[in-house]
Amino acid sequence: MPSEDQPRAHVLQGTLDLIVLRTLATMGPQHAYGIAARIQQVSGDVLSLNQGTLYPALVRLEQQGWIRGAWARTENNRDAKYYSITRSGQKALSLETRNWRRMAGVVEKLLDEGA
Amino acid sequence: MRRFFARLSNLLRPARAEREMSREIEAHVALIQDDLERRGMPPVEARSAALWAYGGVEQAKELHRRERSFPAFEQTVRDFRHALRGLRRSPGFTLTAVLTLALGLGANTAIFSVMYGILLRPLPYHDAARLIVLNETTPKVGRVSVSIPNFQDWRTESRTFPEMAVVNSVGFNLTGIEQPETISGEAVSPGFLRMLGVHPILGRDFDASEEKPGAAPVALLSYPLWQSHFGGDHNIVGRTMALDGRGFTIIGVLPASFRWTEKVDMLEPTGVWAAGNEAYNERGDRGDTVVVGRLAPRVSLAQARAEMEGITARLAKAYPVTNDGFGVALRPIRDAYVSEIRPAILVLFGAVTLVLLIACANVANLFLIRASGRSREMALRVAMGATRGHLLAQMLVESFILTALGGLTGLALAIAAVRGIGGLIPQGMLAGTSITLNGPTLMFAGAVVTLATFAFGVAPALAAGRSNIQLELQEGGRTANVSARTGRWRAALVVAEFSLSLILLVGGGLMMTSLSRLLSVDAGIRTERVLTMQMTLRTAQYSKAPAILNFWDQLLGRVRALPGVQSAALGTGVPLTDDHSRTDITIEGMELPKPGGFPHPDVHIVSPAYLSTLGVRLLRGREFTGMDTEKAPPIAMINAHLARQFFDARNPVGQRFMFGHPSAKRKPQWVTIVGVVGDTKLYGLANPSRLEVYVPLHQDAAESMTLLVKSAGAPAPLTSAIRAAIVSVDKDQPVFETATMEQIVRNSVSPQRITFILLGAFSALALVLAAIGIYGVVSYSVAQRRQEIGIRMALGAQPSEVLRMVIAQGARLAAIGLIIGIVAALALTRLLASLLYSVSPSDPATFATVTVVLALTAAAASYIPARRSVRVDPMRALRCE
Repeated sequence: MPSEDQPRAHVLQGTLDLIVLRTLATMGPQHAYGIAARIQQVSGDVLSLNQGTLYPALVRLEQQGWIRGAWARTENNRDAKYYSITRSGQKALSLETRNWRRMAGVVEKLLDEGA
Repeated sequence: MRRFFARLSNLLRPARAEREMSREIEAHVALIQDDLERRGMPPVEARSAALWAYGGVEQAKELHRRERSFPAFEQTVRDFRHALRGLRRSPGFTLTAVLTLALGLGANTAIFSVMYGILLRPLPYHDAARLIVLNETTPKVGRVSVSIPNFQDWRTESRTFPEMAVVNSVGFNLTGIEQPETISGEAVSPGFLRMLGVHPILGRDFDASEEKPGAAPVALLSYPLWQSHFGGDHNIVGRTMALDGRGFTIIGVLPASFRWTEKVDMLEPTGVWAAGNEAYNERGDRGDTVVVGRLAPRVSLAQARAEMEGITARLAKAYPVTNDGFGVALRPIRDAYVSEIRPAILVLFGAVTLVLLIACANVANLFLIRASGRSREMALRVAMGATRGHLLAQMLVESFILTALGGLTGLALAIAAVRGIGGLIPQGMLAGTSITLNGPTLMFAGAVVTLATFAFGVAPALAAGRSNIQLELQEGGRTANVSARTGRWRAALVVAEFSLSLILLVGGGLMMTSLSRLLSVDAGIRTERVLTMQMTLRTAQYSKAPAILNFWDQLLGRVRALPGVQSAALGTGVPLTDDHSRTDITIEGMELPKPGGFPHPDVHIVSPAYLSTLGVRLLRGREFTGMDTEKAPPIAMINAHLARQFFDARNPVGQRFMFGHPSAKRKPQWVTIVGVVGDTKLYGLANPSRLEVYVPLHQDAAESMTLLVKSAGAPAPLTSAIRAAIVSVDKDQPVFETATMEQIVRNSVSPQRITFILLGAFSALALVLAAIGIYGVVSYSVAQRRQEIGIRMALGAQPSEVLRMVIAQGARLAAIGLIIGIVAALALTRLLASLLYSVSPSDPATFATVTVVLALTAAAASYIPARRSVRVDPMRALRCE
């Protein structure tokens, strides 16, 4: 039930945005399925992504102006909305990446201490 | 399921975003499907696998929607549409709920308007909380007027009141206009308005020099009089008007907001009033005067009271003849406005709050029933991604729509009710305020609507929202667990309704008993077909007794000659009016008491035929006749009370008394008693009888009299003929306060009457609501138990047993409610005590009757659904599942 999923979704939220930005920065314009597939591929089975949850992240990022979406045709002649990272998205990515690394470092240290 | 959401999304205005979202999700799923097909999966299988991989499409949409825009707003709009559609689909529920709420809210708003107008509306004075009204007191009567010399000593000696003003009721005949008219006003100390913080909107305030007796006649007009009689003329200042044939210079106009405890058309300074007024310098003459003072900063009412009691005690010692036994009473000015009708209003506000609670309980009940009927829908929606908060919000929206509709309808009811109630309250008790719906009362209504929304929006939402979805869906709509839980709620609500209704009905019953006993009190008069009119002769031509008597004689002669008039008379101190005059008397041969202990009867000045016209009984001796003139020896009649108290077994007829106290300086003027008459209720039906003395009009020419006319038929149609007769004697003579004696009696009990009428209406309303409540609960549970009842019947249960079982359910709830109600009512009816006459607040007969009425109501309301349950065809009931 979604209502009970919510606390976990919140924890994931920031990370998911970062992952999407990173993916788009690496791969260039990509549709949602492409992004999802890429994330799954990179993470192996560690991150099993409910693909539906990708949309809120895309909407959020688009509203912040970090990514831009446009309809186009896939190589199989399918309709799909392709997202690409914007300039401010690039900036946000590097900033967020730094933040993440710092944060991860701190968490790592704390966890080591505890062990 | 898809249709449900499709319909929902169709309703959305920003349909573009929705389309875009669906297109994107569709594309996404298609891409997954492509991929799977490429890996060799058959298309149909690939489609469902793709959907599986994607996760819940609708849940994703919900997530998407929540992210997409201002979700709360969009959601609320959607909830509104959804709720409106839902309500339209169940018109029975909607109509019942809206009407119930409208009655509850309407009654509440109406009574609050009355309460606001009379008790709460701010007084139009600066820092009104520090304004104190002072009266003299006597042990026998309580608060009485203040004599001018006493006021002057108070003002000189008091330190706790740096400012004090005297306010004395005056009346004038306003002439020189089309129809002569009586206007009323106050003679006030020149500093009065400044002390209140009131400034004339035109012209000037009174000047300190205008306190000296003999000041030139000047007047301030009230705003309404300025508008009605002078057309709101801005050049009014400096013009004159004729009051009692004397020219008064108009020096200004009071603000529209100005009001006093009684009707004020104009103000004059005490110096003008004092001219030629013997009472002004008489310490023993307490006319119609109160004193208003402003407390000094940081002085409490208790301190002021202590100081004033000291001052009056010193005055009583210094002037025993006039002041012995007299004390002082202080009360905040607010209390001077409302004392008489305040308990009635507070009781009614309490009652109407109970009605609102019952109405809310009823609507909450309807909501609970509806909620348990919809628990599957709710569970479904939770399954499809709606959060608990969301469901709660939706229920709140639904209850808000209902309360808003109910509130608007209620407001319409309140507008009508306010007019009706306003008409019930005699003008005299309104003290210049008006009862209307205005800003504060509308705000109150809004607050009540908001509270009500939460009261029965949240409870059912919480009850329903806690349900277990899986259980709910599996049960296939058999909502046993929800109905059991909400069933307890519903039972509690019905119990509450019955106990509240019992309280209200007991209150209404007590008021009814009290009012009927009050109205059957023997007032000592016969009120049927008696018309009264008050008149005061004021112009210069009536300054001497012969002129006054001539007018009254001519008037009586002409009125008696009118067709349809059985008898006519003149009198003062007519029972149950505000016109009273009392004085000390000394009975010949009595042991002289100390100055404050003389008999102090009410004095009536009456013409011949007064007794027969008003139906006062003559017990002994004779009535006055035309022979009892100014030249004949002075005579009087006394009432039974006085005879009993001062003559014991002796026959008072032939005995003598004198007015006032014996004095060495003058020869006593003995008055011979010629008759003894029955007691009349002068000060209200509930008050005990008092000492009374009657003197003939010709031996005490009074300018101010009440004309009493006993007619052969209905009295009201005679009014214009009588007016014409008055004008034929003196074209400038106005009449005021025309009323039948029956109206006067009714007005005298108006606080009790208003309370009875409204409390009666509210308790009837409560009864109906409680009946609806118990009916709803029993019929719902019958519907729920159809199958069970069917089985019982199939197994051989007799219809009568089933009937008893169902009725017992309603009866049990009612019984619990009634017991709680009796206990609560015993505690609460005490608040009614000040309005009750000769009936105890815990009157067993009233309690018993009300309990029986409610029990029968409960039985009847349960019987209808119970009978329906017996008609259940067992086969159909069983097959239903």
